[in-house]
Amino acid sequence: MQLQDVEAAARKFEREIKSGTAALVLLGVISSARQPMYGYQITRIIDERAHAGDEPGPRFKQGALYPVLRSLERSGALESSVEPSVAGPPRRYYSITSAGEEVLGRWTLIWDATRDLVDDILKGNDDV
Amino acid sequence: MSDMIDRYLESLRLALRDADPATVRDALADAEEHLRSAIESAAGQSSGASEEELAAMVVEEYGTPAEVAQAYRTIEQHTAPAFAGQGRPGSGSAARRFFGILGEPRAYAALLYCLFSLVTGIVYFTWAVTGLSLSAGFAVMIFGIPFFGLFLLSVRGLALVEGRIIEALSGVRMPRRPIFERRDAGAWRRFVALVGDRRTWLSIAYLVLQMPLGILYFTLTVTFFAVSASFILRPVLEYWFGLPFMQFGVTTYWTPTWFMPVIMVIGLLLLIITMHLAKMAVRLHARYAKFMLVR
Repeated sequence: MQLQDVEAAARKFEREIKSGTAALVLLGVISSARQPMYGYQITRIIDERAHAGDEPGPRFKQGALYPVLRSLERSGALESSVEPSVAGPPRRYYSITSAGEEVLGRWTLIWDATRDLVDDILKGNDDV
Repeated sequence: MSDMIDRYLESLRLALRDADPATVRDALADAEEHLRSAIESAAGQSSGASEEELAAMVVEEYGTPAEVAQAYRTIEQHTAPAFAGQGRPGSGSAARRFFGILGEPRAYAALLYCLFSLVTGIVYFTWAVTGLSLSAGFAVMIFGIPFFGLFLLSVRGLALVEGRIIEALSGVRMPRRPIFERRDAGAWRRFVALVGDRRTWLSIAYLVLQMPLGILYFTLTVTFFAVSASFILRPVLEYWFGLPFMQFGVTTYWTPTWFMPVIMVIGLLLLIITMHLAKMAVRLHARYAKFMLVR
């Protein structure tokens, strides 16, 4: 395998992981917030968390998060209201619905199980 | 700085030109909100960076128009089957499509066009016929040709307005065309181009034909509506106002009591059918108008 193939494979893997987890990350952020948040705040929190550890975490392209917010709202997991801002265009504030909390709970279980499985396999634990 | 945002939004619109209009609107609103908030907050805390550098940094973090467009398109494809009920044609069961029209803005717009076309039809017809007759009468005079030229120009203008109206009310795209492709040509060359253009004459024909069509649309819409309303309001008309269902000479016909609910349901169905018919008629009309006005 050529080096650029490895690079391309890494990028493809990262892209797929990100598109698979974006909705979970967004629901998590909005669920732990105390008040409705608009898109830019949400992306800022995700960026800060990604930089918090020693190793840089995955970087979500901010523009790719907005369509996920929209689709979460269409499916009823989020609700939003548009409010005017002091300067600039009105902002759309998102908050989580009770159905969204339920979805987040189920997703978290699936995520935990998946993560444990992947960790176990990669670390080669014998006691699986 | 806001130039940069405008340029970004424009290229995002271009990148999404084949997507659903609602998606485009969402994407543009999201991008504008984010970019403005991000630049505002970045300008507040960073030191030294010029506005262009800030904007470039913010756009870099948001993603290129192509990337963002791709993200919206992917989501649209994924969510479309699950939430197809939102006014997408050809989705859902037959009953849902039939009754769903009550929630479709386009159907109401079509009804509006059917009623409105009587007024515009009369105006267009009068304008076109007056203009043609006066042009014919003035042909022997010195100002005959300029008058005819101005009349043809006004026809082009009216054709554009009609195209806008139809696009707004039917959703069928009517491409905008410049009235003159060549700005450098002299007045005479422009006049010849205008007279020689097939579209000019098709537009005049459209304006003239719009009156009979407008009368037809208006009459049919009002008739269907009146019949539906008289069915739905049958109990009120008969029990309250004492109006019979039909009357021939001295013989009056009344609706049997057991038939009252049935006839009200029929009236409701007829109302919905009217909306379907109006929507279909306006869609056909838009195709015809496209042929006459912009081809």
